[in-house]
Amino acid sequence: MILYIGWIILELKYIHLNLTCMSQSKEIAISKSSVPKIAIIALAAIFVLGMFVVGFDQGHIFSVVFGEQAFDEMYIHELTHDMRHAAGFPCH
Amino acid sequence: MKISLFITIIVLSGALAGVSLGLVNLAIVEPYLDTAIGIENQNLFASGEEEDTPEFWANYYSYRVWQKGGQLLAGAILGTSLGTLFGIVFAYSKNSLPGKSMIKKALVLSLIMWATLYVIPFAKYPANPPTVGDPETIILRQSLYLAFMAISGLGALGFYQVYKKINKKAIAFVGYGVMMVATFFVMPPNPDPVQIDSGLLMGFRVTSMIGMSVFWGVVAIILGALWQKTTPDRTAQAKYQ
Ligand SMILES: [Zn+2]
Repeated sequence: MILYIGWIILELKYIHLNLTCMSQSKEIAISKSSVPKIAIIALAAIFVLGMFVVGFDQGHIFSVVFGEQAFDEMYIHELTHDMRHAAGFPCH
Repeated sequence: MKISLFITIIVLSGALAGVSLGLVNLAIVEPYLDTAIGIENQNLFASGEEEDTPEFWANYYSYRVWQKGGQLLAGAILGTSLGTLFGIVFAYSKNSLPGKSMIKKALVLSLIMWATLYVIPFAKYPANPPTVGDPETIILRQSLYLAFMAISGLGALGFYQVYKKINKKAIAFVGYGVMMVATFFVMPPNPDPVQIDSGLLMGFRVTSMIGMSVFWGVVAIILGALWQKTTPDRTAQAKYQ
């Protein structure tokens, strides 16, 4: 849910950016090779979330919905367990 | 730059390389994981925590099938995640990377990221199969691994800035090397003793390293090829000129 809202905010910023770009096409021509910040933010968010899910979660993400119980079940840890070992992350 | 195209090819190349990683791991790393978990099961029987019954094995096998599916899913997630980092760095550095084609440039970058984010951290905190780690030390081990990876990655980024500014390029490499050697000796070792058969340990570590190396190669080839074909940065240029 939080992610979804985050994504909508990103989309809105992107639309805003596009509108600003259209009215300032000259600046765009100058900075044409630059990497759009909004894309970097979106990609960086995917990077952090993915690393956390596969490499580090011990029940944290599901505890948002299921509370303390999630730390005992460690559903994501168990599901990503084999990759966690194989990719070199600390596990058990 | 076409933002949606840019994001799409990066996510796609990461996800595809991640699925390849999952498949390679299923083929070559899983046998070692199964052996290691087999030892854990024997320990559970010996300590009386579990009983060696047909029900135990039925549950165990269905659980392992689920976890092996998880290996593939986690491959896609980890691949997408590392792929986005790779894509970000590639977008910023592709003009200064050596090589004529995008694939060659991407391979040079992936070699650097494979070394700094995987091989060097592995040298200090190598991958271990199940049964080695003590659950009590997991937070410490995770912190150490993350810290080492971050120091190595950010250090490489920092010395890359030095590399761009100075004439004697070798200084940047030496600087990074000195920093990492110092970090290697300053940071505490993995606190858990490794008390398993060395054949199992070595087999696991070698196959695990093959898997991650395949990932870094594949992600570079796919992103390089897609970038070459779709040129997400040139589209915008033509549009606004
Ligand atoms: Zn484990």
